[in-house]
Amino acid sequence: MILQKEQGRKIAVLSILVAAAAISYMLINVDFGNTRFFHYSMRIRTPKLITMFIVSFAIGSAAIVFQTLVNNTIVTPCLLGMDALYTMLHTAVVFFAGTGSILVLNRRLAFGVDILLMGLIGTFIYDFLFRKTKHNILYVLLIGTVMSSLFGSLQSVMTRVMDPNDYDALLATLVASFSNMNSQIIWAAVVLLAGVMIFLRRDIALLDIIALGKDQAINLGVDYNRSIRRLLLGVTLYIAIATAMVGPLAFMGLITANLSRKFFKTYKHSYLIMGSALFGMMMLIGGEIMVQQIFAYNIPISVFITVAGGLYFLYLLLTQKKA
Amino acid sequence: MKIRNLTKKYDENVVVDSANFEIPQGKILSLIGPNGAGKSTVMGMISRLIARDAGIIDFDGKDISRWKDRELSKRLAILTQQNSIQMRLTVRELVAFGRFPYSGSHLNEEDQAIIDRSIKYMELEEMEHCFIDELSGGQRQRAYIAMVIAQDTDYVLLDEPTNNLDIYHASNMMKMVRKLCDELGKTVVLVLHEINYAAFYSDYICAFVGGKIEKIGTVNEVMTKENLYEIYNVDFEIMEIEGKPLSIYY
Repeated sequence: MILQKEQGRKIAVLSILVAAAAISYMLINVDFGNTRFFHYSMRIRTPKLITMFIVSFAIGSAAIVFQTLVNNTIVTPCLLGMDALYTMLHTAVVFFAGTGSILVLNRRLAFGVDILLMGLIGTFIYDFLFRKTKHNILYVLLIGTVMSSLFGSLQSVMTRVMDPNDYDALLATLVASFSNMNSQIIWAAVVLLAGVMIFLRRDIALLDIIALGKDQAINLGVDYNRSIRRLLLGVTLYIAIATAMVGPLAFMGLITANLSRKFFKTYKHSYLIMGSALFGMMMLIGGEIMVQQIFAYNIPISVFITVAGGLYFLYLLLTQKKA
Repeated sequence: MKIRNLTKKYDENVVVDSANFEIPQGKILSLIGPNGAGKSTVMGMISRLIARDAGIIDFDGKDISRWKDRELSKRLAILTQQNSIQMRLTVRELVAFGRFPYSGSHLNEEDQAIIDRSIKYMELEEMEHCFIDELSGGQRQRAYIAMVIAQDTDYVLLDEPTNNLDIYHASNMMKMVRKLCDELGKTVVLVLHEINYAAFYSDYICAFVGGKIEKIGTVNEVMTKENLYEIYNVDFEIMEIEGKPLSIYY
């Protein structure tokens, strides 16, 4: 089929662009003459690059899947407070366990506990939210925004009543950001990403059908509620991974998912997901190059993403055709 | 298909109250009644879109809840009004989804042939590669029916197929439904608002009032002045056109 070839070509173009960005990220301003400097740069940059790949993939694919689950292209998990929920759960663990606890000192263990909590609580909350509002997108968006600030407030309450020493430790070790990436959990994250994909492979294959809406999906023999719940679990875990590594990135999924939908103009989720992940990689890596080389680390990349994403969100809201 | 004591409650509010009826094979059955009478809910329960609170829906000797989802979707198709698609989809791609219960996402030549035939049957060849969201309401409805045909089920359930269509497209839709039954031998169940469409195009009518079946029978049995008054609480005149009882109300 001609169409399929064309989509394949688009994926190839994006991949080449991502590869080019990755190579320039690794090599710009590297001192090749001095092997020690060279190795030092590589040691700093390699984990950062891998982290960006992981985060883009997690956020990009989660955004597409989530949009299909709610049947709307202007919401993303982060807009509904999923990353805020993660940060809150994170803080709660430190708050209740104390900084001396093994749960906090060992980052991998802490990650495991967070993931577990997030999977259980996140899936429960959002599944309940969808059912309660009967997938009415305006309610979902409204309640999601409220929940987002609720989780944020709860988190800041906890940090305020916390022992100052604990708070210090929390800031230093647990709240990740682009300048303070949590690279220790790279392997755990990769294993988890792959594990979730394998666990959900059947449901992922059903996404094209789920996108037809609940009635049509059931008509075509999909066990709708079960698939939705399983995919939602996958989305919460992916967001948890991304937030654990680089902190909240509210609008990133929105941008990449919509770019991918506009670029591929297809209903096939295999392309949409790949495209969204690749756009994310381009954005993050390109952004980091700019931050490092042009702005000399003065402005973190999340600021750019939030500003651009916020404007893009308004644009989408205002131009969206009434469904 | 036999339905026994079918009941649905929302909180304490009984929407469908132990409905008993049978769906005659190879015929068209229309469910009619005033708003809120429970006809769409009954349709939803028969098609497993809505969970029921009590009752048995016996389909080929087995309750529908005991059927495997995939198997049931090869026997029974439902088309509702909630078809908001957020993605770019061509007519052909939509119709191709009808083959999903058989072949998943990997369509074989037989599937392609069936898709071709369905598109032709609904006279959609020219717009095969048009996007669904660019079509008019009537064309879109035809595309969905083509998908149902591709799904190749014995039973077809249509929830208000004439809704949002103008008179021309609505009457064409009803002729199409008649063809589904007469030419393709399908058993069709409809929820209809317009009683004259029900009277002219269906074989049997089942009238709901307040969640209960008020009348059920052939078109001639149900379409009488007295019955219609009981159902709608409005005075009707009955006229006979082409041997079918049509009603006039104002």
